[in-house]
Amino acid sequence: MIRDLKGMASMYKLLIRFSFRSSMQYRFNFWLGSTIAALIAFVEFALLAVILSRFGTIQGWSVQESAYLYSILILSKAIYRTFASDVHHLEKYLLSGDLDGLLLRPLPVLLVLMTQNVSVRFGETLLGLGMLAYSLSSLAADDQIQLWIAIPLSVLICLNGGLLLFGIGLATAATGFWLTRIDMLQNLTEDATHTAIRYPLSIYPGWLKGILTSILPVAFVNYMPALYIVRGEAGPWMLALSAAASLVVLGAGAFLWKWGISRYQSTGS
Amino acid sequence: MLFFALARASYSRNLQYRASHLLHNIASALFGFIYLSIWTGIGQGRDLGSYGMAGLISYVALNQCLLWVTAFTNYGLGLPQLVRTGGIAIELARPVHLFYNMMSREWGNIGYQFLYKSVPIYLLYLVVIPLRLPHSISTAFAFLAALVCAAYLSLCVQYLIGAVSLWTTESQWLHWLNHAMLTLFSGFLIPIEWLPGWLGWFSRWSFYPYLQYIPTRIYLGMDGISSLLPSLAWCAGLTLLCLAATALMRTKTEVQGG
Repeated sequence: MIRDLKGMASMYKLLIRFSFRSSMQYRFNFWLGSTIAALIAFVEFALLAVILSRFGTIQGWSVQESAYLYSILILSKAIYRTFASDVHHLEKYLLSGDLDGLLLRPLPVLLVLMTQNVSVRFGETLLGLGMLAYSLSSLAADDQIQLWIAIPLSVLICLNGGLLLFGIGLATAATGFWLTRIDMLQNLTEDATHTAIRYPLSIYPGWLKGILTSILPVAFVNYMPALYIVRGEAGPWMLALSAAASLVVLGAGAFLWKWGISRYQSTGS
Repeated sequence: MLFFALARASYSRNLQYRASHLLHNIASALFGFIYLSIWTGIGQGRDLGSYGMAGLISYVALNQCLLWVTAFTNYGLGLPQLVRTGGIAIELARPVHLFYNMMSREWGNIGYQFLYKSVPIYLLYLVVIPLRLPHSISTAFAFLAALVCAAYLSLCVQYLIGAVSLWTTESQWLHWLNHAMLTLFSGFLIPIEWLPGWLGWFSRWSFYPYLQYIPTRIYLGMDGISSLLPSLAWCAGLTLLCLAATALMRTKTEVQGG
């Protein structure tokens, strides 16, 4: 079992390296894409910053605290999209019939998809790290947090957030084995939820809070852990709860994937 | 007339998927509810200027409805796909100008999206939120004129993005960048007079406000039909750019394998 996992990990590393080398054959395109991705993330944050600069706080959440929420989201998303790459783009493979080719390879389809068209999200990672550094240093200067505790915990919740977003992405992609077209569902489970958790959860009505903490528990990516790390309004159990949420979502995603791929029927196109 | 034939063909093609598209509206309406929740949460007990809470709610809700006409036009009007398949060579060889050809098809798509996406979400918001109605018939007509200009501007921008795909395989990044810029600079979520410093300056001197901000202000009765004049100037300017881009495409065309 351990040997299998080790073999899988080394295969994953090898495939990632090949994919990265293949994208570096088109250096201009690669750097253009990376730069524009960072610019997009910056523009999206500017929207939040404008609201904060005009209104000061969002339901008691300061600029620094809101920047913390945003930076954790952007870093978690960068981890998910870097390491799971084309899982998000499964629809393209289903519609074109290209998944048939991947099924013939002597490797798990999920592993192959995770290593196709890998794009390291340099711009978003740098932007996220910069915002996290600004947020944590400002909060530490106000004695709201202690850096030596907050930094390692923030790293952990970014990794946990990446796993949780991957779990949701995987579950959504897996529905493609039945529905084929999943862009609408991704619009709901990924785009809409990621937009929602840029802002503190407390601004939303009860029904939306319920969805974001249970059916699609993206609140555990940033808001819930931040209640402990930044606001001190919850105990360390909140981190354990966030980790549990990731495991449940990831488990559900893996189950759906396994079930879905056994039911896969090619579109034949 | 060729324009109507191409537009009708595009409209009819979309019609095949109307059930699926009506479902798509649920996602779009939910996005709108998230934005409305954001403003309801932020705006409670705060000064929202000339809009007031009810006005701002209508502003954000209407902007969400307009997206299907002003923002969600086809990526590059389909040109990137034509470059990829090699079909661009045939399109350029047709005895009709490429811009006119692509524009006509896109009007069919815009017309469909207006009827089957914008209008259902608008009706839902009218009942649920409730979204304000225009003050008068003349306001409604001025708003529709602003909407046509906005759709045309959006179409020109997508054509230019599509034209770029002849020189780089990464034009989809420009598409996403345009979308992000639109979110901030068109006044989609936050009225542009609230944008500080250079952000506000950039927005006022760009075409983005004419996609969302101006049509919505006209609808709410906060601006008159005269505010459309710069929009017409932008339409003329972008048309010239599209024609220049087509001339450049005709000098040398490389396809990606066909």
